[in-house]
Amino acid sequence: MATTKVPEVRDITRIERIGAHSHIRGLGLDDALEPRQVSQGMVGQLASRRAAGVILEMIKDGHIAGRAVLIAGQPGTGKTAIAMGIAQSLGTDTPFTALSGSEIFSLEMSKTEALSQAFRKAIGVRIKEETEIIEGEVVEIQIDRPATGTGAKVGKLTLKTTEMETIYDLGNKMIESLCKEKVQAGDVITIDKATGKISKLGRSFTRARDYDAMGAQTQFVQCPEGELQKRKEVVHTVSLHEIDVINSRTQGFLALFSGDTGEIKSEVREQINAKVCEWREEGKAEIIPGVLFIDEVHMLDMECFSFLNRALESDLSPVLIMATNRGITRIRGTNYQSPHGIPIDLLDRLLIIATSPYTEKETRQILKIRCEEEDVELSEEAHTVLTRIGMETSLRYAIQLISTAGLVCRKRKGTEVQVEDIKRVYSLFLDEARSSQYMKEYQDSFLFHETQTAKMDTS
Amino acid sequence: KMDATSQRVLQYLTEVEEAAEDVLTTKQQIVDLDTKRNTNREALNALKNEMSDSNKVKVCFGNMFIKLPKSKTREMIQKDQDQLDEDINNLRKGLKAKVNHLNEMQGKPEFKGYKLSPLSSDEIKAINSLLKR
Repeated sequence: MATTKVPEVRDITRIERIGAHSHIRGLGLDDALEPRQVSQGMVGQLASRRAAGVILEMIKDGHIAGRAVLIAGQPGTGKTAIAMGIAQSLGTDTPFTALSGSEIFSLEMSKTEALSQAFRKAIGVRIKEETEIIEGEVVEIQIDRPATGTGAKVGKLTLKTTEMETIYDLGNKMIESLCKEKVQAGDVITIDKATGKISKLGRSFTRARDYDAMGAQTQFVQCPEGELQKRKEVVHTVSLHEIDVINSRTQGFLALFSGDTGEIKSEVREQINAKVCEWREEGKAEIIPGVLFIDEVHMLDMECFSFLNRALESDLSPVLIMATNRGITRIRGTNYQSPHGIPIDLLDRLLIIATSPYTEKETRQILKIRCEEEDVELSEEAHTVLTRIGMETSLRYAIQLISTAGLVCRKRKGTEVQVEDIKRVYSLFLDEARSSQYMKEYQDSFLFHETQTAKMDTS
Repeated sequence: KMDATSQRVLQYLTEVEEAAEDVLTTKQQIVDLDTKRNTNREALNALKNEMSDSNKVKVCFGNMFIKLPKSKTREMIQKDQDQLDEDINNLRKGLKAKVNHLNEMQGKPEFKGYKLSPLSSDEIKAINSLLKR
């Protein structure tokens, strides 16, 4: 065996940005895809939710692999919420990968590698494992040692199910593994026919006594039903990225090494693609195009956008959902202006969903849902005050105030947040508008202050 | 006299019951064949290990014992065993289709990956580390 040191493949780190959207359970649509005003944590945004619902159905049917969707709208209008809603409605079987535009910038890995990994994480491969097993409850186990002390041991194992009982003659190897697993009468075991591997499932209920001295991890199970020799089929879903990783880490079935960079070689990816396509041809695998969600997509630069353009054309491509809150702005890495900071050629491929600002009534409902989610009781007047704050400053700020006001309320041993609590946190924490106001008034007394600071360069 | 709706419901329920009955019968058939397979296996083992001294063995057919040469007997049982393996395989294949049919009738979704053919053991070994999670 070669002893080349294989650098471990690094994964891009996942940052959970869903804390603020933990109340989202789905898109809140009825069977006819009509959005309900308030449902599954979703409020308002009826048109965009309906549009997302149509896209969701297409994803479920597998119609729109390799397409892209852009959710555009002002800050705090529920873009991430809609993406989360789509993710929740897809169920556990469809892969959903979320990342933020800024996550791909890392010293350890090139931008395109990070994007490639994200793309491949969002594609699932469904495969089936089939094994012949013998499953039964041990009635009796009898092992004879030869009188001389050496030589082959012989033994008998009696197994039963609810329907039948039979005796197996044991060979030397079988006896060893039975002893290693400490199999006793009353255990329920499975034996893999191909490998001879024995696993203990637990103790049979019929053997349970009142004062059994058992380890804490002993489990009681029912005596198996049906035939002794069963066929077990297990369906697994793995992502393409996971298959990539094991094949660059070890001498996998394609026996390829990764380079020194901790990145996955494109040769490995091509080989995996070929293998998976071969499996699909043979009916051994189903490919599930999942969803890749890139939040704050304006943080990507020109290089990434052209990568996306190309990646979407590959036949193994997930549905790409992007979200941005920018209007017409400079594309990162260039001096060109473009809507949403996305190049026109990519924009042309996108289905665009727009979100609009929430109305007062909707804001009120969202705040109510968040209160329930954060376990904070809100009095009627406080709710009204908070809604006004939400309308005049921003929804995010108002949501921040819920938990802080909850803390203030608990400190004075109250059970319900009152207007006073809201007032107190409102004076403690500045919202964006008041903070800028403060800066304007007192900027002369801050350190490192430059009088003609131009607009901050955000790139 | 029953009206058309209840007639239809009754017919539908009968069909579902029939499909379910079919599934259960096939399952029982597999169990019965496996029982037979196991007794045959016990017999083969006994022939190999316990009857090593005699040349002829008594075999029970129905309610009659017949003395037969050992090699002949082993051959006979082995043939029976191969037939049983094949029968069980065929029943299992059929069972899948029957369960599918029943699910479809009850409006349940098809199992995911139900129609896939399994990976070979080498392929499973290659990605084993992914599956043990």
